[in-house]
Order: sequence, then C-alpha cells, then structure tokens
Amino acid sequence: MALYTLRRLLNAIPILIGITIISFAIIHMAPGSPLSQFTEDPTIKQVDKDNMIKAYGLDKPLYVQYWDWVSGLVRGDLGVSLLKNQPVADLILERLPNTLLLTVTSFLLSLLIAIPLGILCAVRAHSRLDQIVSGFTFVGISIPGFWLGLMLIILFAVKLGWLPSGGLQTVNADFSLIDRIKHLTLPVLTMAAGEVAIWIRYVRSSMLEVINQDYMRTAKAKGLPGNSILFRHGFRNALIPLATLFGLALPGFFAGAAILEQVYSIPGMGRLFIEGAFQRDYPVLFAIVTVGAFLTVLGSILADVAYAALDPRVNLSKQEVRG
Amino acid sequence: MLSKPFGKFASVALVTMMSSAVVLSACSSDNNGAAGSSASPGASASAAPKKEKVDGGEITTAYLGDPQGFIRFWATTTTSTEVIDLVFSTLYKFNEKQEIVPDLAVDQPTFSEDKKTMTIKLRTDAKWSDGQPVTADDVVFTYSIPINNDYTGPRKSTFSRMEKIEKVDASTVKITFKEPHAGYIDMMIYNILPQHILKDVAIKDMDKSEFFKKPIGSGPYKLTEWKASQYLTFTRNDNYYGGKPAIEKVTAKIVPDANAMMAQLQTGEINVVSVPADNLAAIEQFAKTSGKIKLQKDIPSTSYSFVGWNLTNPLFQDKKVRQALTTAIDRKGLVDGVAEGMGKVVNSQTAPSYWTFTDNVPKFDYNEAKAKQMLAEAGWKDTDGDGVLDKDGKKFEFEMQVNQGNKVREKAVTVIQQQLKKVGINVIPRVVESSAFTKNFQKKDFVSIYYAWSISGDPNPHGIWHSSEIESGLNTVSYKNPEVDKLIDEDLSTFDKAKRKEILNKVDALIAEDQPYTFLYSPTVVMAYPSNLEGFNPQRDSLKEVQKWYFTK
Repeated sequence: MALYTLRRLLNAIPILIGITIISFAIIHMAPGSPLSQFTEDPTIKQVDKDNMIKAYGLDKPLYVQYWDWVSGLVRGDLGVSLLKNQPVADLILERLPNTLLLTVTSFLLSLLIAIPLGILCAVRAHSRLDQIVSGFTFVGISIPGFWLGLMLIILFAVKLGWLPSGGLQTVNADFSLIDRIKHLTLPVLTMAAGEVAIWIRYVRSSMLEVINQDYMRTAKAKGLPGNSILFRHGFRNALIPLATLFGLALPGFFAGAAILEQVYSIPGMGRLFIEGAFQRDYPVLFAIVTVGAFLTVLGSILADVAYAALDPRVNLSKQEVRG
Repeated sequence: MLSKPFGKFASVALVTMMSSAVVLSACSSDNNGAAGSSASPGASASAAPKKEKVDGGEITTAYLGDPQGFIRFWATTTTSTEVIDLVFSTLYKFNEKQEIVPDLAVDQPTFSEDKKTMTIKLRTDAKWSDGQPVTADDVVFTYSIPINNDYTGPRKSTFSRMEKIEKVDASTVKITFKEPHAGYIDMMIYNILPQHILKDVAIKDMDKSEFFKKPIGSGPYKLTEWKASQYLTFTRNDNYYGGKPAIEKVTAKIVPDANAMMAQLQTGEINVVSVPADNLAAIEQFAKTSGKIKLQKDIPSTSYSFVGWNLTNPLFQDKKVRQALTTAIDRKGLVDGVAEGMGKVVNSQTAPSYWTFTDNVPKFDYNEAKAKQMLAEAGWKDTDGDGVLDKDGKKFEFEMQVNQGNKVREKAVTVIQQQLKKVGINVIPRVVESSAFTKNFQKKDFVSIYYAWSISGDPNPHGIWHSSEIESGLNTVSYKNPEVDKLIDEDLSTFDKAKRKEILNKVDALIAEDQPYTFLYSPTVVMAYPSNLEGFNPQRDSLKEVQKWYFTK
C-alpha cells in the first residue's frame, strides 16, 4: 500500500505540471487584463497603461512569464498581487482561516444531521418519513445559496434583529466567542442547508445498497442486535463510497463558498478568487488555481487510500505485483 | 477544481452577476463620479441649522470592495480616493462644480508671464498627525514622485507636462511646466506625503510599503485600523487645521453585495450609504416607517452614460442617421423607467454639474414620427415590407454591446432595442463580461456600445474627442471634426476661465450636433443619512466634506 501511495504521488507530478500550464494559458487567454479596471476614467492614458504593463512584467513573452512564475512557485514564492500590492501567500493566509471556519463547520454540521437522517431514510425506505425528508432534500438542493442567504438576512437580521447580517465580528469590538458564533450562524446554516440535502441523498442511497446485501441478512439470521448490524456491518460498508466523496470535498474547504462569502461579507478564499477573476489579478488566480488543483489531486489520492483501508476486498499490494 | 463538490452549480451563473458589482465599483457604478473631495468654503448648504450641535458621534458607511491604498499616485478607485481624502490634505480640492478650492494652499496659484511657472503659497498651521509641521519640503517631495523615471504608476501622463518643482521658502513652492498647461488643476488633488517618514523608501517600492496601508496624514481623520476585506476605522484628528471635526469616528465596512448592504442599512449596522436604483423603493419605505434615516435625492454626479456609434461602420457615417437614432430613443423615459428617476438627460459631453456646462446645444428630443422621417430622408426605407428598414439591399440591423453585471444598463439596452424597433431598426443586444467588454471598447471592436464616462477635474475633453486620440486613446468611436480639434487645442492653452467656458461650450454644441454618441443621462445619487445628521452638502455624495457633518440633539 505504501508503494501504491508513492506511485500515485509520483503520478500526480506530471498532472500538476500539466494543470499549471493549462490554467496559465487559459487565464492569459481570457480577454481583458489587470488594467481593465481603468476603464471609465479618461485621465488614465494608453501611455500609463503601457507603463504599468511593463512594470507588471506582462510585456514579456508568455513562456518567460510562465517560467518566472513556476520558478517562483518552486521556491515557495507565489508572487505579489497586482492590485492589492501584497504577497499572494499573505493574502491566502489571511483569508484561509475564515474560509475554513465556514466550510469545515458547515461540513461537520451537515454530516451530523445527514448521517443519522440518511440511515433512517434508508432503513425506512419509502415510508412517510423518507418521503418528507426527500422532499426537503430536493428543496435544499434546488434553493440557490445567495437567495436563501438574503432571505435569512431579511428574516433574522432585518425583521427580527436577532443576528448580525454579515461580517465576521462586530466592528471595533474585541474578539469574543459569542460574537463570532452569532456572526457565523447564518452563513453556516445557509451553507449547511444545501450540503445536508446532498449528503442525505448520498448516505441514503449508499446505505440502501448495503442493507439488502446477503451478509446483512446473514447477520440478522445469526440474531445479532439490530443496532450492531446497522452500524458494524451496514454503515461501515456504506462508508466506502462516501470516503471517495469526502476526499473530493477537500478542495472545496480551501476554495470556500464564493456566493455566500459575498452575501455575508466574509473575507474568505471564495471572495479573493472572485475579485481576482474579475480584476484579472493573475498572481492571485494562479495561486488559488494551483493550490486548488493540488488539493484536488491530493483529495483523490486520499480517497483511494481510504477506500483501501476501509474495504478489505481491495488489496492494493496484489495489483502492485501484477502491474 | 474550484467548484464545490456539493453542487449548487445552478447558482454559478448568478455569482457572476452578483460579484461583478465588486469589481465594477470603481469603474462603472452609475452612482459615483470619480471626483475628488472638496472643502469648498461657503459651498455647504446645510439644512436646518437651528438644532443643537452635538460634539461626537459615529457614522458607518460601506464600500463594495477594499480601497487599494493611501497614495493617489497609485490608488485610482473611487473608494481609495474617498478614504485618502479622510486622512490626507491636498494642495487644492475639487468642489462640486469641479473647480479647485484651496486646501493646504492659500488662494489660487499665481502664474508667470509666460504661464510656464506657477507659484503656490502654503498654509503654515498644518501638522502631520505625528505632530510634525507640513512644509514646502513635503510638497516638493510629493510632487517629485510622479515626474521621476522610477515612477511607473497610472498617473505618469497626468504629470507629463510638469518639468520640476522647487521650494521657494518654507511656505512657498514653484512648479515649472514644459509648456503652458491650462489643465494643471488635475495635478493639484494628489495627497501630500510626509517626507520625514517616506524619504528612505524607493519610489518603486512605495506602493508596497507599510505606509501605503498604514498612512500618516494631515487630514481631518486618522486611520486607526484596517482589517482587509472587513472594515476600516478612522478617528478624528483633534489638531486638524480646518477645525476639529464634530463626528468622532468614521467606519467604512466592506460589504461586497449591494443587497446585503441595503439590509445592513435597515439593521442600523451602517448608516451612511448611497442607495442604488433597484433598492430605492424599499429604502424609501423604510425611511418613512422607521424614522431612523433620511434620504437626500438628486445629488449630481460627473458621469454620464451613452451609446457610442462606431463611426467607421457604414451604418453610422451619416450624421442625419445618428441624429435620428437619438430622436428615436426616449431618454427621459429611460431615466424614469430603468433608473427609477435617478438621472438627468444630457445632450452633450459635459456633465450638468460642471462649471463649463451649457444647455445651449442642439437637442434631439424623443419623437418617433420625426425619427422615422429623418431616417427616410437619409434613404432608409422598408422596401421589402418586413418591418426593418433597408438601404441598397442592406438591412438596418446591428449589435449593441453592454457590460454584464450592471442591471440598469442591461435593462436600458433592452428598452433601446424596443424603441428602435418601432422605427424599423433591429438591435441585437449582446451582454459581455466586464473585462472583455472593456477590451472590446478600447480595441474599437464594436458596432455600437453602451458605455459611461466618469469625468473629473479639468474639463478639457482632449482624451475622448480629439482626433489624435483615435489611434491609441479613448476616442474609440473614431470621431473626427477639425473644428472641434482646433477648439480643444485652443482651450488647452487658455487660462482665462470665462474664455475657456466659451470655447468649451462651442465644443459641446458641435459634438451635440454631430451625435457621435447618443448621450443618454447623467446619473444622480441618492444618499441615506441618519435622520439627525446635518451639515452635509446636498450637492455631494459619499463622505465628501465629512469634516463639516454633525449630529443634532
């Protein structure tokens, strides 16, 4: 298995190099440039723009720019944001904790709700409960996050006045846990609403598949207590496909929730990326895309490894020998 | 790899719409003229001065995005300009008519006989917030930056006619120009920097220096904290030479979503903000029922929107056709229907609040029948009876580009499409992503385009209308009128304001007659203020002249 992991990691290197080249090319091919912001101000002339293009190094041939950037990357230098005049690494470190706070909290919250509900729905498939929950999950999946966010703001912040409508903390106040929780409540709820719905679907279908397996029937025939069957035999096996999905969730933690960060004024990665995309702030875009790509690859490797660890039927060392 | 694996892909398209507002805050919000702030004496027309003035209080406003930093040579967005004006002083400021009024300077500048050198007297009572006096050395230090070869920021061309700056004595500076330059006022609004703090920072590193984000200024407020993408807080400068401001604290929150911003106005989390057209009705209702805020309407801006006709396209080469197009568009209806009445129809290239504005220009008011007749006179007739005009076998049909994310403009283009359809012209609207849109405009890659200018400072329109700007400047509709060229050149070397107004009024009339653009309207701004706030200038938006504001009991 160690060998398998190592091979997967080595395999990932050309993939990552390919991703950097492709994303570099795509981002540069998109029309517009970091200077597009100077549009409706006629006092900034073409000469000024030419000057700045030179200062940004955007007048160099593309392969030189790519080489400069990659060699910086290898040295651990992600470059300096063209529009925020700040090292990209600093920007990411500043935003990442906020995003993680939002994404990980809502992920955990949604699992906490989705796993028991999903199991319950699988066990009582097609019951009244299952139908009601299914109804809610479809609503949850279809409601756009920004709309739900705005509705919650209008209800809980504007009408009822119970919770703040955005931001991470009260301005000018010292840090307090209660204050932070109050500010996070609405965004986490909004984000979890969609996630809960999806995870319930996953857990339910995964569980449903397992429940009708022969070994479940055998366990029941042996007279094992119901809970033990459900969790030791049932859920453990149902977790296997879920592990893959967890692995793929990893880059999502990092990338953040662009829409919600926007609606709730949370200074996170999603907003950084969107701002970067619209202003064509190349170094910021490259950095986020690259780290995102890296995490996606890492996530899928982790998922496969977890798959092997959870499922004794998958024996990687044998494949190793054969391959 | 950045899409969340949880789905919600349906809303991806909406992200685009919602978030472009952030980026556009600087360049295309129809509500903001990119004008500098002003401290014009005697221009403040505060209402109800009878109530008792309170010393202290706090105001909270919001911006869609962070400012860039605190040096104007590098920071270009409207948000940056506003926060810079809180913290810094400048030699002069623009008033609401875009004339310069003294700030650190004393009186208007004096010129030598050949108009090549200009002398400015400085006040002697100004201090940096660290206690050091503001001197001629600071001014010389500041103005040496943009004329230095190491400077590569966006303002190089603004200062291209300036040769040098020298100190005459502790409170006098002398600026030498390469040639007489009536547009010098554009150089006067840059924030004066403290030499004693910045003298060891290389010019090319200044926009990356600590000072850029943690400034020391001599203006009415001091920056106390800047939490990136969250908020900036300012406290009043007790030693401000213009008198201690009454409002003690100013907070600017960063709220990237305009709807969320309006929600915060209703919760009281912010209390000073401009209200966009699509939220006006709801906020008006809130102001009436809660009594917590009041609205100031019809604040003029110095921007205007227009439809640019690409004059290299055979469709638009006939002046008569362009005049007919304008006549076919109900611009007043557009302001009322699309912009909720927040705008003033314009007929030429000068915004109504400008000191050079004239109403005495040819006008092409909405008249469907007349438009049809004008088109017929120009040879456009519907010969095949399909409802679309044609001439020499070619249909009157063209594309109109508009930038994505600005709902008012997208709607406006649809309205224009319907109105032109009535006179037999087929418009195909095309919504283009902002950066690509800008590029299309600059590369003249359009047939017709819905665009806007945010004009500030000197009124000379060389950059947009002179034929020498067709090649690589902003005259992207390729407008060429030798008479206009001549007048613009003449204005550039005219120093007498009355004479300039006369020349520029002629330019306005000529351009209005030629209709290279269909000039649509100049947006007006609606500001929400706390109901017990007084002292603000009803002609100005955002935080301008905030040092004169006060709460009443």
